[in-house]
Amino acid sequence: MISLSDIPARPSAWITPPIIVLALLLLAAPNLLPAIGLYQYLGIEIAIWIIFALGFNLLFGYAGLHSFGHGAYLGIGAYAFGLFQHHVAVSLWGGLLAAVLAAGVAGALVGAFLSHRRGIYYALLTIGFGQIFWFLAMKLHSVTGGEDGLLGIPRPPLTLGPWQVALTGNPALFYFAAVLLMIVVVLCWRLANSPFGRVLQAIRQNETRARFVGYDVWRFKWAVFTLSAMIAGLAGSLLAMAQQSAYPDVMSLHQSGLIVMMVLVGGGLVSFWGPVLGVIFYFVARDVLGGLTETWLLWYGLIFMAMVMLRPEGLAGMLHGLLRRSPPRQPGAVAVPATEAA
Amino acid sequence: MIDLLPHLINGLTLGLLFALIALGFTLIVGVMEVINLAHGSLFALGAYFALTVIAGSWFSSTPFGAWWLSLPLGLRYVLALAIGPALAGLAGMLLELCLRPTYGKPPLYGLLLTFGAALVVEELIRLVWGTGEQNLALPQAINGAFLLNGMIFSTYRFFASGFSIVAIAAVWLFLERTSAGAVIKAGAHDSEMVRALGYDLARLRLLVFGFGAALAGLAGVVMVPIWGLRPHVGVDIVIPAFLIIVIGGVGSFWGAVIAALLVGLAIGITGAYAAAWSTMSMYLLLIAILGFRSRGLLGRKSALEN
Repeated sequence: MISLSDIPARPSAWITPPIIVLALLLLAAPNLLPAIGLYQYLGIEIAIWIIFALGFNLLFGYAGLHSFGHGAYLGIGAYAFGLFQHHVAVSLWGGLLAAVLAAGVAGALVGAFLSHRRGIYYALLTIGFGQIFWFLAMKLHSVTGGEDGLLGIPRPPLTLGPWQVALTGNPALFYFAAVLLMIVVVLCWRLANSPFGRVLQAIRQNETRARFVGYDVWRFKWAVFTLSAMIAGLAGSLLAMAQQSAYPDVMSLHQSGLIVMMVLVGGGLVSFWGPVLGVIFYFVARDVLGGLTETWLLWYGLIFMAMVMLRPEGLAGMLHGLLRRSPPRQPGAVAVPATEAA
Repeated sequence: MIDLLPHLINGLTLGLLFALIALGFTLIVGVMEVINLAHGSLFALGAYFALTVIAGSWFSSTPFGAWWLSLPLGLRYVLALAIGPALAGLAGMLLELCLRPTYGKPPLYGLLLTFGAALVVEELIRLVWGTGEQNLALPQAINGAFLLNGMIFSTYRFFASGFSIVAIAAVWLFLERTSAGAVIKAGAHDSEMVRALGYDLARLRLLVFGFGAALAGLAGVVMVPIWGLRPHVGVDIVIPAFLIIVIGGVGSFWGAVIAALLVGLAIGITGAYAAAWSTMSMYLLLIAILGFRSRGLLGRKSALEN
């Protein structure tokens, strides 16, 4: 099976052809979506989840740290955004900042607790913490509105100096989300291909070895967890704007599992672009299968199971295989590194 | 001062039932090194099959259904107690066959596959049995309540606790006193050695998974009259089961039993003082215990940490 490490780093590139393609696709999306029979709001949803998935994959695909409670940080971002609008001021930048900071603080605290853990214990604890946040959102009725959610969250206008744009319409919000998405894409791409990203991959391949080489593994694991929580918080604030409300539902184990499924089906384990494919595949599958049958999740679940069994490298891995029928072997490289087979 | 005794008894009952669920779970983790997130779904399947057996919900309008419903409820209940777990066990074996491609890969893949399976089973249950909440009809003998020292106790909770104790003891005897149990325990310790000694590892895994799944199904039939039966009951139950495994130490029999009782008591006692927060107590217990013992109460080093 190929892995992220088989894809060569391009340390100097801020912008690559796939980034330009994504930007063009986003630019055309409001015209493209209705043309293929879909609707505007779907574009916002996809953009939000791609942001979430890209941040998540730094942790999941690059560092190999399996978080099953990541919906919590998406939810924290959404609640922080809403609470800021309700209790502090109706401000876009203030809300975004509050969401990123709140999710970042929560992520930093949990990350500090988690970063000494490895393997399945890491995954188990992320579930535990995710459930705690979900439970708090359900029970702190006076703050979060409990099961009913936090309602009536406004979409504050975008203000840049004297320039002001209302984000009340879906196309306007979509373009705003798309701009944020492109910023996240470029930042994540740079980060993944920086020395930081290389150390994360070293931790994934062999944590003990990375520690013996001299890296402060604890600090890297903590930093990537916090960072991915902050990106999730950003996605959460957009979600709060899109839905004009925040619900505990996004923090449930079910939703946290969905992001793992999206990233894996897309091929986040083998490619930077895997999460993007996975999110698009999920939402298109939801709308196409959902139009055909009530029980579309059953079929998506079966597709996912088949994927784990037969093609764990996901859509991106399959594309990779199609593009290069016979992958050129590097001299001296054995078919599968020992750590991947373990 | 709140009278704690009923809450302690409720907690203990819950703990014993949790132990029953966790045993199958820990057996599968121990032997297969698979965190089976679909364990709760097998629990739900056992209960739903029992529902079909007791209420005849698929065939009640047929002549066979009329004859079936004329049988005494007690007999149908006993049959449900056998058929529900057996069918859950078969479903577990099917899941094990799906899991085969993931052996030898990081434990993540097994976990993901069983997560997908949990989703699929939940959707199937919605499709077959509907989305509403349902109830198992209980025979008169174990239904109702009795009065003791001026307090009302539910007869069924006592029956369920007693049943769990017997079942846990039976599993322990099976693992400790039979040669099949010895092979299973050896498989948990060193599966390569078991294979080298000539045992069919593939069959062992299939049987262990089936057995663990049947235990989950059994727990389902016994527990749902207390816990409630709805399509997502599997997810509701897999989380406590899962926390119990971690608190007790992955793969440890007594660790699971002790942790289950602790979690049950924690829920019972919190229930006395702050009912709305009782579920939270198990997460706090998890974090408190893992803060001090990173492998849980009785856990040993295992391949799952890689």
